[in-house]
Amino acid sequence: MARADARTRSDIAAMLPRLRRFARALTGHPADGDDIVQIGIERALQRIDQFEEGTRLDAWLYAIVRNAWIDEARARARRAKVLAPAEAGENVGDQGASAVYAALEAQDVYAAMQQLAPEQREVIALVCIEGLGYKQAAAQLEIPIGTLTSRLARGREALHAILGEEP
Amino acid sequence: MTISAEKLLAYVDGELDAREHAEMEAAISADAELRSRVERERKLRQRLSAAFDPTLDEPTPARLRTALGAPSSDNVLDFKPIRAWTYREWTAMAASLAGGLLIGWAMMSNQAGTLTPTGNGLAARGALAAALDGQLAGEVGGAVRIGISFRNRDGVYCRTFGLSRDQIAGLACKIDDQWRVPITAALASSGGEIRAAGSDTPAPVLSAVEAMIAGDPLDAQGEARAKSSHWRARR
Repeated sequence: MARADARTRSDIAAMLPRLRRFARALTGHPADGDDIVQIGIERALQRIDQFEEGTRLDAWLYAIVRNAWIDEARARARRAKVLAPAEAGENVGDQGASAVYAALEAQDVYAAMQQLAPEQREVIALVCIEGLGYKQAAAQLEIPIGTLTSRLARGREALHAILGEEP
Repeated sequence: MTISAEKLLAYVDGELDAREHAEMEAAISADAELRSRVERERKLRQRLSAAFDPTLDEPTPARLRTALGAPSSDNVLDFKPIRAWTYREWTAMAASLAGGLLIGWAMMSNQAGTLTPTGNGLAARGALAAALDGQLAGEVGGAVRIGISFRNRDGVYCRTFGLSRDQIAGLACKIDDQWRVPITAALASSGGEIRAAGSDTPAPVLSAVEAMIAGDPLDAQGEARAKSSHWRARR
């Protein structure tokens, strides 16, 4: 097995904040998101020899984290274990009122993401949260652009329906 | 002019070419209903960003840094709750390590000046003691690399470390203003390759961590707090 050199490790480290954000959007929960990022890191290091030099490391890592999410969701379904819903205010520290409000608002958005169909959730995560262009996101998911845009539209309608208007 | 939902979203997502973009702007300026549809989609994107972007500013959790520092799943620490070791297992491991300790001591005593024998076993000194006091996990400072930091069930702070020159890793706990080192072990090396110390924490050290740790390893904030309180035990 090829070993990840220090350079690759530091490139992966630099991607960690974005991978965590992506995983949080997929799982709808910070700790669950970090679980799949951790699985993703382990797999990336194990399979580092499968990474093709000159291709995009970020795309490769997004794909690994997404696969970890899919596997984890299947495993959870098999165990018929239902994810504990995020508790309101769970991550609220002792900040001021506006920070508390922002944290509660974020919880609503996390919960709304969790209600989306997985294929809608991942397009929203890549385009609206990670900021990928349509072409790049479609390539990432290996789906046609038309499929991507219709999932984006349906996902957004679902989010509007769940979240309602701006509070 | 009727604008399809997907065209409108492509506009909000910045996916239209210059000509389509200009057409869209013209349509929006002439149509209040279209304007409010665009506004609604922009707000949704803002809410998503506001909810998820703060992730980018969070310190990376220690367990992810640890995972990235380890070469394969074999060496990746699993910090899910584990059964505490019995006294018997603990003693057996300590006994099996004693041989390695003596050899390790013989190697180190004439090298780095980083460990010294005391009435309570080995204690860190010199560069190692300084790194244990002042260096945050993941920072590479000279020959010492700090792995993870955690508290044991007595509230005592402990940290794993690696010494690249000596190819030795270990565990140190701050007791009575001294970093005591109950465990050291040789860093695994393969093919003569010198590895960054701390990236391949040997199994005996990991086992000791698992046996002693209470809760999760410290995150970056926890480490910083512990450092500023000089790693004094907190119950």
